[in-house]
Order: sequence, then structure tokens, then C-alpha cells
Amino acid sequence: MKRFVYINDDEASKELCCDNRISNRKYTLWNFLPKNLWEQFSRFMNQYFLLIACLQLWSLITPVNPASTWGPLIFIFAVSASKEAWDDYHRYLSDKKANEKEVWIVKQGIKKHIQAQDIQVGNIVWLRENDEVPCDLVLLGTSDPQGVCYVETAALDGETDLKTRVIPSACVGIDLELLHKMKGVIECPIPDKDIRRFDANMRLFPPFIDNDVCSLTIKNTLLQSCYLRNTEWACGVSVYTGNQTKLGMSRGIAEPKLTAMDAMIDKLTGAIFVFQIVVVMVLGVAGNVWKDTEARKQWYVQYPEEAPWYELLVIPLRFELLCSIMIPISIKVSLDLVKGLYAKFIEWDVEMIDQETGTASYAANTAISEDLGQVEYILTDKTGTLTDNKMIFRRCCIGGIFYGNENGDALKDAQLLNAITSGSTDVIRFLTVMAICNTVIPVQSKAGDIVYKAQSQDEDALVIAAAKLHMVFVGKNANLLEIRFNGSIIRYEVLEILEFTSDRKRMSVVVKDCQNGKIILLSKGADEAILPYACAGQQTRTIGDAVEHYSQLGLRTLCLAWRELEENEYLEWSVKFKEASSLLVDREWRIAEVCQRLEHDLYILGVTAIEDRLQDGVPETIETLRKAGINFWMLTGDKQNTAIQIALSCNFISPEPKGQLLMIDGKTKEDVSRSLERVLLTMRITASEPKDVAFVIDGWALEIALKHHHKDFVELAILSRTAICCRVTPSQKAQLVEILKSCDYRTLAIGDGGNDVRMIQQADIGVGISGREGLQAARAADYSIGRFRFLKRLILVHGRYSYNRTAFLSQYSFYKSLLICFIQILRFWNQSFQFG
Amino acid sequence: MSSTNTPSSSAAAAAGSVDSSAARRNSKRPKYSKFTQQELPACKPILTPGWVISTFLIISVIFIPLGVISLFASQDVVEIVDRYDSACVPPPDQANKVAYIQGAANKSCTRTLIVPKRMKQPIYVYYQLENFYQNHRRYVKSRSDSQLRSVKDENQIDACKPEDDVGGLPIVPCGLIAWSLFNDTYALSRNNQRLAVNKKGIAWKSDREHKFGKRVFPKNFQKGNLTGGAILDPNISLSDQEDLIVWMRTAALPTFRKLYGKIESDLEKGDNIQVTLQNNYNTYSFSGKKKLVLSTTSWLGGKNDFLGIAYLTVGGICFFLALAFTVMYLVKPRRLGDPTYLSWNRIPGGR
Repeated sequence: MKRFVYINDDEASKELCCDNRISNRKYTLWNFLPKNLWEQFSRFMNQYFLLIACLQLWSLITPVNPASTWGPLIFIFAVSASKEAWDDYHRYLSDKKANEKEVWIVKQGIKKHIQAQDIQVGNIVWLRENDEVPCDLVLLGTSDPQGVCYVETAALDGETDLKTRVIPSACVGIDLELLHKMKGVIECPIPDKDIRRFDANMRLFPPFIDNDVCSLTIKNTLLQSCYLRNTEWACGVSVYTGNQTKLGMSRGIAEPKLTAMDAMIDKLTGAIFVFQIVVVMVLGVAGNVWKDTEARKQWYVQYPEEAPWYELLVIPLRFELLCSIMIPISIKVSLDLVKGLYAKFIEWDVEMIDQETGTASYAANTAISEDLGQVEYILTDKTGTLTDNKMIFRRCCIGGIFYGNENGDALKDAQLLNAITSGSTDVIRFLTVMAICNTVIPVQSKAGDIVYKAQSQDEDALVIAAAKLHMVFVGKNANLLEIRFNGSIIRYEVLEILEFTSDRKRMSVVVKDCQNGKIILLSKGADEAILPYACAGQQTRTIGDAVEHYSQLGLRTLCLAWRELEENEYLEWSVKFKEASSLLVDREWRIAEVCQRLEHDLYILGVTAIEDRLQDGVPETIETLRKAGINFWMLTGDKQNTAIQIALSCNFISPEPKGQLLMIDGKTKEDVSRSLERVLLTMRITASEPKDVAFVIDGWALEIALKHHHKDFVELAILSRTAICCRVTPSQKAQLVEILKSCDYRTLAIGDGGNDVRMIQQADIGVGISGREGLQAARAADYSIGRFRFLKRLILVHGRYSYNRTAFLSQYSFYKSLLICFIQILRFWNQSFQFG
Repeated sequence: MSSTNTPSSSAAAAAGSVDSSAARRNSKRPKYSKFTQQELPACKPILTPGWVISTFLIISVIFIPLGVISLFASQDVVEIVDRYDSACVPPPDQANKVAYIQGAANKSCTRTLIVPKRMKQPIYVYYQLENFYQNHRRYVKSRSDSQLRSVKDENQIDACKPEDDVGGLPIVPCGLIAWSLFNDTYALSRNNQRLAVNKKGIAWKSDREHKFGKRVFPKNFQKGNLTGGAILDPNISLSDQEDLIVWMRTAALPTFRKLYGKIESDLEKGDNIQVTLQNNYNTYSFSGKKKLVLSTTSWLGGKNDFLGIAYLTVGGICFFLALAFTVMYLVKPRRLGDPTYLSWNRIPGGR
């Protein structure tokens, strides 16, 4: 299915449905009452109480005043309904705020100010710096002459770094004025929720040049809820609007959560109801028989001779009402009350206040505290949840010499500082790679300091560290890089950037040294992606050892490498690279292949070690919860290596030989299937051994595994106590939660970013960390806490208390009412069913 | 309950409200108190063998003597029970008792009781009915308390159907209960000497003073088509009609005793007591029994072994349990707080 979006053409795009109105509401004004009542009455207990209350309206059979049942019933329903209404009203308000935000769009060639909700598919939308993107756009122009702009996608995928977006090649060089009058057609897929893919084509109509089809990727889009940063302005044509945007499609409706205990109580109620019916039938028949044989002889009662047709029903129904206390109506009220108190206890707990920010814990959902005491699986995000999301350069190894081993901070290592001042070639090259082999943008702030905007936190850490070691990356002007080293300015011209992909696990830049005209290839990447391509003579043993050493310390390592290129070699390769870059099919794969031709015979400079600081008490928390029999899964959007390293450093998995890490990977269906089978086999064998076996899977393999080998994967999920899923999308996170839930496990999802929202809503319990990545997760969550380590107290103290208390309360409630009822039933026998 | 918020597409739009609420949350830092931190002193006994055994022992030590004392108290009570419903029907009418009781024949009958033991005054005279359902749904509701209390409410007879009025005039006291008032009478004599039965002060004081009005007199009573039980003297106010007051306090069980009067003199062992009774009340149609009861009381009330037996049973069970636990503790002791006992469905330590 395809959708054709006509740029700037209101007529043609009209049938493309909806405007940009977003709605997260569950109810409208009209359907609130019926829908809410329907929802409440879907619980068996409520149906039962309604039945009893209705029977009590019939004065012939009721032993008590109907108000005694209707009163509490109406009160209970009113409380729940008004709670729902209040929540929904707030959703409505926040929707309204978003819908009524003013945006600039172009209509019939004129720039207009309209409300965000009136944007139509095909409109050209203008954005200024720091504006939020109101709907999914295809970029047409930016203030940057190269057609680049930067966006922050934290709300979408939880990654805080800036991402570059470029305008499609067809739009390059179009004048600002002409952008208003642009016409064309975009052929794009029907709305889906994949935020990593956008396979579309664009064709501009004359008078615009390039009547060819120009392919579009996700790099050419601005997605809803991202922010435009570091770019004066940008404009784009809206392709998906309202609830059809990538974000809108991946937004799940939050189902009301029901605890295991609630389900049990419902089941129990059903069972008691059946028992009650049996009792009532026996008593009813006995009562009718007795009435017909004996009661007529009792002259003092003066039975009327004539009986209405429903006479036979009267006695059983009376018994039903008398037995109705068997199911206590009070349990709902008392449970609601105590659950509210549990929630308050969580909020009051002084041991769960984040001392840094002073944020107390908050229980948004008061109904599910006791589930905290039954958690079996915890699915956790990594960045910002386990870690502080602050990368710091700690150590390095240059040319076989370790720096920073003594005091744990290479920046203060006198040896290194000496090496820099003495001008050791290796060290200076090393610093150069640290400073410029990246996609970082230096921004001069108003105070005159240089602030770096980096796509990844690692690069940020490296550039900052280089700056502290006197190799300051001061400016980027189009392709010209400026570095200040010991007072002198060195300029490089960037010729190509060989970007990082998760397969290549390395990135390189080709630069031309403006001083001497040499062309240099600078690379950095994971050890397994760099070391095999070392030049023939070099000993990589020491480097390998350094990587090993750093990994054991829980540091993230990157190998830096260098090679001087011959001009011919570069030119030759450059042609192939351009060719590959313009391919439409298999582009990524072809580019990787071409890059490989350049990245060989590298001279390995050394290894950097970066610390991704764990939050306080994370390893202890994980270990304690493990001991309590809770299993952990880590779901992260991050790279595999990073994820594994963090997992190692926070007790998540054990290093060999105590633990074993099994990889599931592969690009094709067959690969994944083989890999999955192998892992499953190992799991089955080691299941009985006291060995920590964990599996690692990446998003791509996961998608294939879920699609084609769902059953195997479910078995794997049951077998493994630990799993690491990396490069997973928000909806995959939710899917994984769904799988564990379908195996009847109680799941708790904890995360801090917008990309965790789905999983948090899907899990039985969602916990948000009200941390740095905004409050999205915390708002969607049932509980929000300040730090990961509070999870221990939340589960082991509050969860357990709540579970015990609710269990006691409900058991006692049932016991009490059954006891009362049995006294009555015994008395009926004693009374010979005297209720005619 | 749903979680409060779905992820809004507009982080910025919601940012304002979130910030303010976050600030509010921060300022509302929880205060420390023992209650909020769940640190209030609490006591949860650990059920160690010593604790359990001694608790059971203490209970049995208290309960068994209590049971014995109650049983003795009950044994002290002297009670004479005489069932007369069948015996007071002359032999020719035995086949059709209902016809006899509804007939016009003379219903007087004489019974002789022998005092088995010395009975100290006051001796209570009861009549006991069996298989009579004063607690019947139709019956128990059929009265008008406001009418009984004051004259001006004599028209409040809604609850009294079908015995509410006669030809439009309200019956006082109305309803099935009053209408079916027990009407057997007993005259007692000892050794041919009349034995005075005091019929004053047999009803509850509160009933006499508050529930039955001093100025309310019976009206139109037993004037309907059907005659139920006793007829009331229309010149005596309801608060003085103590038989009615006693009867109107309905019994909860189908076997019940109601106080008829008190004998305020001692009876010696072997005394012959003649009871001349008027056998008027119809219990024959529903095969109910009628009994005359003479009984003394102890500090624990009338003759009833139940309390003593219950105490003895509970005390005995506790003693037995204490014994059993002691034996178990000595034969097969178990480590306290062993976590392996917590698991019932998985191997300890394993998955």
C-alpha cells in the first residue's frame, strides 16, 4: 500500500483523511457514562452487586432496606468514575494544548500562522530553532547551506544526542523563496510505527529541476515530537499527521491494570457465587416443600389461600438475598482504601527520596501495589536507568603504554601530560583522532566557551577529554575543521565520513591536512572491528590486552587507528564510494563493502577507556533482587557491546567461567533460526547447572525471531533468567513484555525515557525514573522513583507489605462473611426454612 | 484504574504542567513520622513451640474449672417439666384433637407434679411451646409498635395485615402476634392448698414502661371473623396486661418458654402439686407440644448444661493439643525459621 502526498496541493491531498488533531482520550462527553459503567461492570463482582441491589428493590423478598446496598454501590461507582473522569480530563487538556499550538505553514504560497491541529497532509511546515515538530515531515529546506539540520529525538527513542537530518538531494540548492511554491509528489508507505525506516520516493514537478525520482530515507524526515536544535530554521512537507504519525501509531492505549490478586478475588467470587446458587437452590426447594406441607397448618400465620404465579420463586430469591453477604461488598471499598494507603506509604517513604533533586517517589496508580510483591521479571532500560548517562574518559593506552592506571584518571597522569608537551608523534596522532574522528559539532556559546553537540555520548567524552589534553576542537565550518593545539591552529578538511553502523562497529573520517596536503584516514571502533585490519607488521597483542584489561574494569573501550592515504588511492576509492552512496537498493550493504576497501592496513594508535558511570547501588540492588528470585532482562536501544559491558559491571551477567553469554544474531531468517536453535539447545543442557546463562539478541534478530520462531523464542524466554536485548525499538520492548506476560509471569518494566513508555504501559507494573531524560516515562508509569536503587525498597518492602496486607484483608473479609452466612444457613435448617 | 497519562505527543505542550507539578511534588517532601515510615511499634508473636504449648495449657487450665463450675451451677437448678398437650385431651377425642380443641367442650384438666428436690423461692412458672414459629416472617412483622405505645397512633395498622381492623375500625392491639395470644391458664395447689402464683412483674420493665402505653386500652380485640387466642380485658391498660407483653416479645426459636408467673414460697421435696389447667390453646393442628415448667434459678440462670460442656470441650481440646505438641516437639523437633519450609512448589535454592 502506498500513499501519495502532493506537496502544497490542498485539492489533491484532501482525500488523505485526517488533520493533525491528536487525541489520547478514552472517553468523550457523551460516551463517558455508558462506557465507564460498561467497563466497571465487566468485573464479575460488580455485576453481582448490581444483581443483588436490583433484587432488593422488590419489597416482597427483601429483608432489608434497599438503600443499604444501593448506597455503598453508588458511592463506589461514583468514586471510580470520577477518578477516571478526572484523568481523562487531564489527558484532554494536554491534547488541547498540543493541538492548539501555533505553527507556521505555507498555504497557496503564503506563510500563515495556524493551529497545529489544522495541518493537512501536504502542507509545508516551517520550524524555528527549538520548535517541536508538530507532525511527521519530509525535510525540504534548512538554514544550513548544505541542507543539514539537527534534531533531538529523546521523546521518540530516548537517545539524548543530536541527530543530523539532511534534505533530499532533489531539494539541494532551491531558493528560500521558491520553497513556498514548491510542487511535487511523495510516494510513501501507509502509516506505520517503525521509527527507523521510511522508504519513500519524491518527485518534484517542473519548473523544479530534477524530474527524476529521488529516494527518501529516515534521514530526510523530521518526526513528530522531536525538537529542532542548532538550526535556525527548517521546513518540510507533512506526510503523516495526527494519530497517524510514527509516534501516534506506536502509542498504545493504556489498558487499566488489574493485579493478580484482583483476578484471584474475581475468580474466588465466581466460585463462591456458584456455591451460593447451589445453597440457594437446595434451601429454596426445601422451603417450598415445607411451606406446602407444613406451613398451611400454622393457623397463627394466616396464609392466604391464593398465591401469585411467581410464588415458587419467592422463597429461593429470599434465600439468595439472605445469602448475598457471602460475597462481601465491603471488600471493594476496604481494598480501595488500604491500597490508597499503600500508595501514600510509598510517597511518604523518606528512604526513597532522591537526595540530589529532592524528588520523592510517586505512586500514580494506587491500585496495584500488591503486585509489586509478586514480581518475577524485571525488564530494565539501560541508559539513564542503570547508568547515570554521563560518559567520562578515564584511561588510555597509547603505543603500549598505559596511562591513568595509577590514579584512575588519564587526564591527570603526569606521564601523559609530559608526552604531550614533548610532542610524541603517537600521542599527538592519538589526540587528533580523539578530537576529529567524529560527528561532533562545536558550538560557541555566548560566554565564549565551546560546547559540543555530539550524536553519541562516547564521542562527546572523547572530544572533551582531548580538549582537556590541549587538543581543542574549536570550530567546524562546513568541511573545514579547526583544532587548537598548544596555541597553534591546525586545519583539516573533511573529505568523507564513513559512518558508524552497528555492523561495521567502527567509523572513520578521511581528512586532508591543510598544512601539508596529506590525506589521512582516521578510524575508531570496537576492538574486533579494528584490530583485524591492523597493518601487517604491527603487534596487536598489547592492544588486545589493554582492551581486555579495561573491559574487566567495566570501561567502554574504543580502538583508535590511523593511516596515511595516497592521493590516487583516495581518488579511486572516492568514486566508488559516491557510486555506492547513490544506490537505491542495498545501499547500506554496498557502502559497508566499499568502506572496507579503505579501512585496512591501519596503524593502531591505542585504546581509550570511557566510564559510563553506573548509578549508585545498582549492582547491589540487582544482586539483592536476584536473590529474591527475580529475573532481569535488559532492553536497550544501545549497541550490543556497550550493553554487555554495562551488564558485566552491574552484576547483571557474570563473567566466564561462572557465566555464559549466548549470542543470537544473523541477518537472514536462516541465520537467526540456526542461532536460536543453538542457543536453545545450550540453554536446555545448562538449565540444571548452577551457571548464569544469559542470551544476547539484537533488534534485527529479535524481529525475525518473533516473526518466524515465536514458539522457540517463548521457550527461550522461559528458560533464561537473564537476557540482554540491544538495539530494540520501543514497540519491540513492549512486545517482549507481552511475551513474558503471556507466559503468566508478573513483569515490572523500569525505564526513564520516552522510548520506554510503551513497555512501561504494557507491563504489569511500570516504574519510571524521574531522571534527566524528561518526565515522559515517569508520567506514563504507575510508580516513579528518583533512582534505580529505590527499586529494592519498592519491591522488597512496600511490595511485600502490600501483598501481605491485601492477602490478609481479603482472606479475612471472605472468612468473615462466609462465617456469618454459615450461621444463617444453619439457622435456616433450625427454622425449617421459615421464610415463606 | 488506568495510569494517569499516555505519552503525549507534545512534550513541550505538557512540559509546563509537568514542571509545575514536579515542583509541587518537590516542595511536598514527606515528613518523617513513625506512622508514615511504618515504624510504629508492632507485636507479632513468633509461634515457637514453647509459646504455643504454654498458651494452650493456660487456656485449658482456665477453661476446665470454669466448665466444671458451670456444670455444677446448672446441676443445682431444680426443674419440673410436664408435657400436657396430649394428656389433656380426653381419650375419646385423641383421634381428632383439632376438633376437640376447636369444640366447645370443657377443656379443664388436672395434672399432678411431684417435687423431686427442695425448691427455693422464687420458683418460676413457664409454659413451653414447641414447633411454634413465633419467628415466622409473616408473624413477626405483624404488629404496630406505635399503636401499642400511644392512643393517638391507634390508626397505624399498616403492618398488621391481615388482623388490622374490624369493619374499618382499628384493632388495638393489632396484628397476628397479639391475635394469637396464648390462653391456657394454670391454677396450682399444694396438698389441697392454693399455691399463689404472682403474675405481676413477669414482663420486662422497659416494655411495661415504654413500649406499652398506660392509656392504651384494648379495642375491637378478637372481634373479627376468626378468633385466635386469649381475649383481653378492655378495661385494663396494655401496660398492665403482662401476659400480652411477654407474648409480644417474640421468641427466636421454634421451641421457647415464656414466663407465666412466680411462686414466692419454697417447695419441699416430695410435695404434691396439683395443676388445674384450662387447655385452650390450639397447638394440635401443627403438632406442637405444650409443657408446663417449674424451675428455680442459679447465679447462672436456668438449667442449661451447654455452657459447661462447651467450656469443658474447648479446655479439653486445648489440653490435648498442648500434650500432642509437646510430644511432637520432643520426638521430632524442627529448626525455627528454616526457609526451606517456605517453598512448596520448587526445589529450595533452585529455580
